[in-house]
Amino acid sequence: MKTYDVVVVGAGPAGITASLRMAREGLKVLLLERGDAPGSKNMFGGMLPYAPLVEELLPCFWDQAPWERHVVKRTLTVLAKKSATSLVFESEGFDGPPYSGYTLFRPIFDGWYAQKATEAGVRLLTGCLAEELLMHEGAVSGVTVGREKGEVAAPAVIVCDGVLSLLAKKAGLYRPPEASDMALGIKALFHLGEEEIDERFNLVRRQGVSQEFRGCTEGIRGGGFIYTQTETLSVGLVLHLDSLKKSGTPPYELFERFCSLGQVRKILKGARMREYSAHVLPEGGYRGIPQLYTGGLLLAGDAAGLCYANGLNMEGMNLAIASGFFAAETVIDAFSKGDFSARQMARYENRLRESFVLRDMKTFAKTTDLMHNDRLFSAYPQMVGTIMEEIFKSDGKPRKSLGRICREAARVLPIGQLIADAFKGGRSLI
Amino acid sequence: MITDDIFELVSYRVCEEAHIRVSREVCQGCTHRACTFTCPARCYEWNAEKKRIDFAYEACLECGTCLIICDRGALEWHYPKGGFGVRFRLT
Repeated sequence: MKTYDVVVVGAGPAGITASLRMAREGLKVLLLERGDAPGSKNMFGGMLPYAPLVEELLPCFWDQAPWERHVVKRTLTVLAKKSATSLVFESEGFDGPPYSGYTLFRPIFDGWYAQKATEAGVRLLTGCLAEELLMHEGAVSGVTVGREKGEVAAPAVIVCDGVLSLLAKKAGLYRPPEASDMALGIKALFHLGEEEIDERFNLVRRQGVSQEFRGCTEGIRGGGFIYTQTETLSVGLVLHLDSLKKSGTPPYELFERFCSLGQVRKILKGARMREYSAHVLPEGGYRGIPQLYTGGLLLAGDAAGLCYANGLNMEGMNLAIASGFFAAETVIDAFSKGDFSARQMARYENRLRESFVLRDMKTFAKTTDLMHNDRLFSAYPQMVGTIMEEIFKSDGKPRKSLGRICREAARVLPIGQLIADAFKGGRSLI
Repeated sequence: MITDDIFELVSYRVCEEAHIRVSREVCQGCTHRACTFTCPARCYEWNAEKKRIDFAYEACLECGTCLIICDRGALEWHYPKGGFGVRFRLT
């Protein structure tokens, strides 16, 4: 049996960060990846928000990392039947390093990042599926790998095998998720060319845009997105699974109709579709987070449910990086004490609680409930459209006050409902 | 049209062995058959003639939708063997 100090399952941002951190400390780390290369199984929106932690591992990380564009412009577009209302935020502050967010391709970024880990001494095995956990005296003591049913022993295992975490299930840390706590992301990559993207979005010098859409999912809880890479656009939908199931609508048909909406069609004109992908993502928020440790084992990244959407931000990859980092610190600490018990591993949770990871998840705990309000995806986008249309419409009739316009537009919902939603919305966001 | 082309744009290294197994007996009692329309890769199809779910694993994106959506425990769900299955190039 092969023996390592630590086995890390999953060469995504959480697993690579953890491996790199531990290798720097001199630990003998085995990093397992079931894809034939890191990133080949990953589906991503997306944008990686700036994560200062990685600079502790690799100085000048952001100068070296193969990202596509830095995001300077964030747009939220609310679609109604015949109109679109956008809120555009653009900041000069986001236009210089350290940038606030980066678009990137996961197979390229993860591949580069994993190489940094192997250069630091991590042993990376790709095309290798970790199937079972080895147990010794009630604690996890290694994994079995698909290749010739080999066994790898290690006193600590960090599980970063993604949102479906089959290994967390085997460790007894997994709560079967409700369909309402999971969303399906589907996306297509479109090639448009660098100049054309710069022109359509009014960008220069590798500046990038993220655009979110509401009211484009035919009443299903969810939204649409567009991210700019250097020469391509990532265009997709995120759909809550219970709501999708109830709708009876295939996601790719929704996607097709999303792409044919005026606002999206104009952006995609002449673009060529290159790749299609889909994956579920955790939407359970703070209360969806499972227990994150047991004897000899820690969960990080999506496997730990560390992902949130609050209506404006959608974050996961930076939480994965940070959780991988803190998982590594916990294991390093465990080695110095020679103690891998659940009690020792519980310090991981304390580290996450002190950091932005669980703090952010907690800050937006109530927002998760808000994002499960059906009206936010049907009635309210229509209402926004009606109000804006009334404000700008010129038809020879006397204008109404803004108050009256809003009151009239709000009549589609019972007043009690409106007040309850406003109260809940206010409480969860403010 | 997008849905005519979209499924052709995915690369795979198909394993000889199916990584998901569907219990057709359990499926018989299902009232919603949500797997047939929520699967983003169209892997599940209701065969009206034979009155059963037909499942083809080859185009699976390993996304997990069916695993979450099936409320009858009809699926034995694994990842494909290491190095096999869907292979995203850029996404």
